[in-house]
Amino acid sequence: MAKFNQTIAILILVLVGASAQAQEPLAVVVNKANPIDELSRSELIDLFMGKYVAFPNDDKAIPVELNGEHEVKIEFYQNLVGMPLSRVNAYWSRLRFTGRKRAAVFKPNEEELIAFIIANEQAIGYVPQSLITEDLKVVYILNE
Amino acid sequence: MNKSGLVIRLAVVIIFTAVIVGLITTQIFYRFTFLNEQALGEQSIKQLYNTVSPTASIASYLGDEELAKEVINGLISNDLITAAAIKTDVLMVKSDNYRPSTATLEFTLFSPFQKERSVGVLFVKPNEKHLVDRANKISATNAFVVAIEALIITLISILVTYYVITRPILNIGKALHTISPGTNERINKPSSHQKSEIGQLADDVNDLLTKAEEQMLREKNLRSEVEVLESRFRMLFENATSAIVLVEPQGDILLYNETFEQLIEKLNLTLKKNYGNYLQDLFIMKKDLHEHIRIAFSNNESAAIELELISYQDEKFWVQVVVTQLITDDFQENYQITLHDISKRKKQISLLDQKANYDGLTNLLNRHAAEHHLKLLVATKVPFALIMMDLNDFKPINDIFGHDSGDELLIHVASQLMKSLRKADILSRWGGDEFVIVLPNADKEEVSNVCEKLAAQLSKPHHLSQHNKSVFVTASMGVSFYPDDEAELLELIRLADKAMYQVKRDKSTNQELYLAFSRDISDLENKSKKP
Repeated sequence: MAKFNQTIAILILVLVGASAQAQEPLAVVVNKANPIDELSRSELIDLFMGKYVAFPNDDKAIPVELNGEHEVKIEFYQNLVGMPLSRVNAYWSRLRFTGRKRAAVFKPNEEELIAFIIANEQAIGYVPQSLITEDLKVVYILNE
Repeated sequence: MNKSGLVIRLAVVIIFTAVIVGLITTQIFYRFTFLNEQALGEQSIKQLYNTVSPTASIASYLGDEELAKEVINGLISNDLITAAAIKTDVLMVKSDNYRPSTATLEFTLFSPFQKERSVGVLFVKPNEKHLVDRANKISATNAFVVAIEALIITLISILVTYYVITRPILNIGKALHTISPGTNERINKPSSHQKSEIGQLADDVNDLLTKAEEQMLREKNLRSEVEVLESRFRMLFENATSAIVLVEPQGDILLYNETFEQLIEKLNLTLKKNYGNYLQDLFIMKKDLHEHIRIAFSNNESAAIELELISYQDEKFWVQVVVTQLITDDFQENYQITLHDISKRKKQISLLDQKANYDGLTNLLNRHAAEHHLKLLVATKVPFALIMMDLNDFKPINDIFGHDSGDELLIHVASQLMKSLRKADILSRWGGDEFVIVLPNADKEEVSNVCEKLAAQLSKPHHLSQHNKSVFVTASMGVSFYPDDEAELLELIRLADKAMYQVKRDKSTNQELYLAFSRDISDLENKSKKP
């Protein structure tokens, strides 16, 4: 019985956790020193989809990405452009043939990503809202 | 072949129609084909756009020239597209032959990530020439098919028309040419048209032929009847013993028979076309003819009159003329004139007349005729002298030499008396050896002269050839005057007679005496009666 209860508890946790994770808004963050306080959705898309490599104020921008098929990454693109990650990757693959190189920096997890942003004034990245620290500046909230 | 024959006409009409309809349908088909091809082309271009639109969107979104070029090259490699271009805020990529024009299709390119965000425009110029070529190709095929179809329909129509319609009709026509109407020949019904309209035509033609045969037979019979009748009429007319002539109102002769010809010949006249109205020139008394006709016609009768014909011979010809008015069917007025020869009858009548009025021996008027003449003179109140003459010593001659000699002497006396008289005087044998002479409008002196002459003539001797002896007679004459002596005829005659007997009586005393006037005698009587 205790085992059953445990299983239920885990299930609930998983479900609640999953839902909590899914529903948790993603924040697009930059270095605290970055003069940009806010970005429009289009500006955000243009930065992450390779149209622009600079912030609206013409400062160079370095998008920071998570490696592979990270849950947060999937959710980010789903929310930003309404595409599954596979399509986003295909987009980039196609662009690669035209000789267009992506200016993004890849990090294996959120912690390293956050660290890179804190360390790099030109960086911009996305993290779950719960991971936001004082050292980061939120310029856009996704999935609000 | 007949230029206006059914087959040629039909062929001309079908070929003409086929050409016209073919041209029109080809044009319409071409137009439709072209529009259809254009629509298809546009649709194909839209499909092409759909194919290239993700890449084009990306190229526009990123302003990626390489990618845009790739898209443009891809597009113009298609036959449907001649030129293409992608235009964004920062970029203008186009094919070499791209020129901005109105005939260009425009597609707005949207951001691959934001469907409402326009990032550029794709210009595509459809290959009009390609469309036209394809439309032409399809239309040419279509026109060819239509032409083949028209050709086949024309040929079949002509063949069908010829074999099904024209030839049977021509055959019927040919058969009709060889058939003579009125015979029992008929045309054959075409075997393939036993129940069709052409078969019906053949039947109708045969019906017509039957009717024609019947009609001609009827007419033939009628004609022969008419011929028989006509020949009888002709016989009647030609052999008529009377001359029959049909004349027009102006006298032109329309018809005459042989008898008329013979009559003209007999009159020693030439046969003419016109002898005047009602043949008037043939008759002596034209006026009588016209008068009779006028009266008869006014009473709606035929005119009948006996007339003497003009003749240059001694023989007299008399005819009874009958003129009948005929109105022909077309209201022409003609006259039928019949001339019956009555010469013989006339001759007989005149002979009878002669016998009745003349003395057979002397050919002088007889007493009856003389009395008639006297009555006429009295009736018309013409004054005249009446001489009663009696031969003296005639009886002894008659007794001695016989009656023949007496008769001979009487004839001699008659001719002698005749010589001394005028034409208007009347000489008659009153009976036996008595003669009466009437001298109209004569006075006493004239009568004396005449009587003297008469006496002188009589006194000439007459030679009796039979007896070789000459004899002569004397006469006693008594005269009375009308109306001076007596107005009543019998009394007048009696007075003359009395005077004559007075002469005879006094002759014994006076041999020279031969004449006495009744008025002298009555004077004498009156004197002698007076004391």
